Amino acid sequence: PANMKLLLIFSALLGASLCLETFVGHQVLRIKTKNEEEVKQLQLLESLEHLELDFWINPSAPALPVDVRIPAASVQSVKAFLESQGIEYSILIEDLQDVLDKERQDMARSAQRQRGTGFDFGAYHTLDDINEELDHLASEYSFVEKIQIGESYEKRPLYVLKFSTGGSQRPAIWLDAGIHSREWVTQASALWIANKIASDYGTDDSITSLLDKMDLFLLPVANPDGFVYTHTTNRMWRKTRSKIPGSVCVGVDPNRNWDAGFGGPGASNNPCSESYHGPSANSEVEVKSVVDFIKNHGNFKAFLTLHSYSQLLMYPYGYKCTRPDDYAELESLGRAAANSIRSLYGTTFQVGTICKTIYQASGGSIDWSYDNGIKYSFAFELRDTGRYGFLLPASQILPAAKETWLGLQRIMEHVRDKSS
Amino acid sequence: AMELPPSHFPAARAAAVAMGYLRYLRGGPGRGLQLRELRSARRQDIDDVGHKYYLELELEDVLDKDRTVNCTAEVLYPLGSQSSAPDVQLTVQGELRSTEEADKEFYTRIRSLEKELVAENIPDSHGNIPPELEPIHLLAWAASGYVIWQNSTENTKFHLAQVKHVKQVKRSDEDLQFDYVVLLHEMVSQEVLPWQVTLLWHPQRGARVSQCQGPAPGD
Repeated sequence: PANMKLLLIFSALLGASLCLETFVGHQVLRIKTKNEEEVKQLQLLESLEHLELDFWINPSAPALPVDVRIPAASVQSVKAFLESQGIEYSILIEDLQDVLDKERQDMARSAQRQRGTGFDFGAYHTLDDINEELDHLASEYSFVEKIQIGESYEKRPLYVLKFSTGGSQRPAIWLDAGIHSREWVTQASALWIANKIASDYGTDDSITSLLDKMDLFLLPVANPDGFVYTHTTNRMWRKTRSKIPGSVCVGVDPNRNWDAGFGGPGASNNPCSESYHGPSANSEVEVKSVVDFIKNHGNFKAFLTLHSYSQLLMYPYGYKCTRPDDYAELESLGRAAANSIRSLYGTTFQVGTICKTIYQASGGSIDWSYDNGIKYSFAFELRDTGRYGFLLPASQILPAAKETWLGLQRIMEHVRDKSS
Repeated sequence: AMELPPSHFPAARAAAVAMGYLRYLRGGPGRGLQLRELRSARRQDIDDVGHKYYLELELEDVLDKDRTVNCTAEVLYPLGSQSSAPDVQLTVQGELRSTEEADKEFYTRIRSLEKELVAENIPDSHGNIPPELEPIHLLAWAASGYVIWQNSTENTKFHLAQVKHVKQVKRSDEDLQFDYVVLLHEMVSQEVLPWQVTLLWHPQRGARVSQCQGPAPGD
């Protein structure tokens, strides 16, 4: 019986994975027969093939329980039948699919633990799991520290990983991901990149020389409230989750909320819009926390931000369609970074100003950073170009992270060379 | 006509319209056409008519990525009237890979289902699509291709974000019918909105949209 059950669960799992059969709504009942008459009733039930009943323990003798899996469509009628006959039963499993799903997850996790591999960078994770991994990285590497730069609207901590091998107030690089919460490949890539930098310091020449000269600050989940919302309620949520006075709609587009051409073209003043700029610049605590942190630090040389999708590598401006003063250098560096990205898997990124490449959009983060003296300001739009869009398969996380890292690295090397 | 950089958005938006139209015309359960590269673009402003884009596209089939096929397209956005669909002319150079066998197999499989197919969230949150549902996903590309073609302007760029729901409806004639609720992502406004589309498909006759309804106001 225990082995049989396991075997049946296993074959159900196998069946489910091979043939798309699901067990949603299937229930497993345990039936306690009191006499021979009731056993015969169950044997009659067994013979009704159209019910598609699957007896795990067949009716044989009154003393033995009968366990039966019932497809969703037959559950009500079987229960009605049992009740009308006065036959006692209890529900062993409310929804078999839930059990199978949990089993699958448990199996995957234990397999992972057996391999000793810890955090799976090639999978999408919840906010809690991500925060746990940030703690893990900070505890494992002496030059990695987890700091809190503020709190979200719903009071979730905004955690930044600080990579610093010494010095005092070294010139620094800023990197953030997930400011738009539905862009899941960005938070996932940021985790991989954090781990890559931490684990390769000391062995990789480029990373080592970078961190020997500069500090790196990485905010993997810039919009935690939105991110949680994409897990619990709406996978397509983009904005923050702030309540807007006078409106039934929720949330501000955090990448229209920066003090750069705020309220100008390419942002909406309608709270229900996905590109709502908010009541005022920096009204969103998620934005203000970053602004304050960077201003107080005072020595940032680069501001890099990850978005998806479209495969673009952009520099200012978005709020106006004129070229920045450093156009030539940024265009050239952008092209070099795009070439680095392409070198790995052939993935092509288009390069240009925000305004020309994607659209005019005011209140964006890299426009703010650029106008505040941080020359090397770039925004990446990662994979893909629309086939999966926001719903990029987890199997593409690692390729996306790896190629993006090459582009970031190219930029960081240039910044390092110019900052010394 | 002036030359347009392919990396700039006006050309990219016109290309998206051409792709929508192409997917509607030539898409099916066994074919998913995708833009590999926009080779070149020109724009011509025609007085009292509209803006016409001339495009050179390199296409690939997601089910056969080793090959590419070239295509030229003309996309004319009519002046003024926002309710008129862009006019698209396109020429595919050479042959697209035949999908006759896959189409027949899909057709037979669906026709022989006892219960009408129902599915939702394709892909799911993690980007997964069960292999058996890939043809349904590709048909959704054809269905949404129609919607994208019909509803695009120079200020929009649509992509299919997700199939929220699909229900097969058995018919007494030979067509397959799928009632879709598709989420379309519009890049400029960043809105993701539901559209209801009824798609008919037949191996020889191809795909046709028989009904289509956009989001309710205030959505």
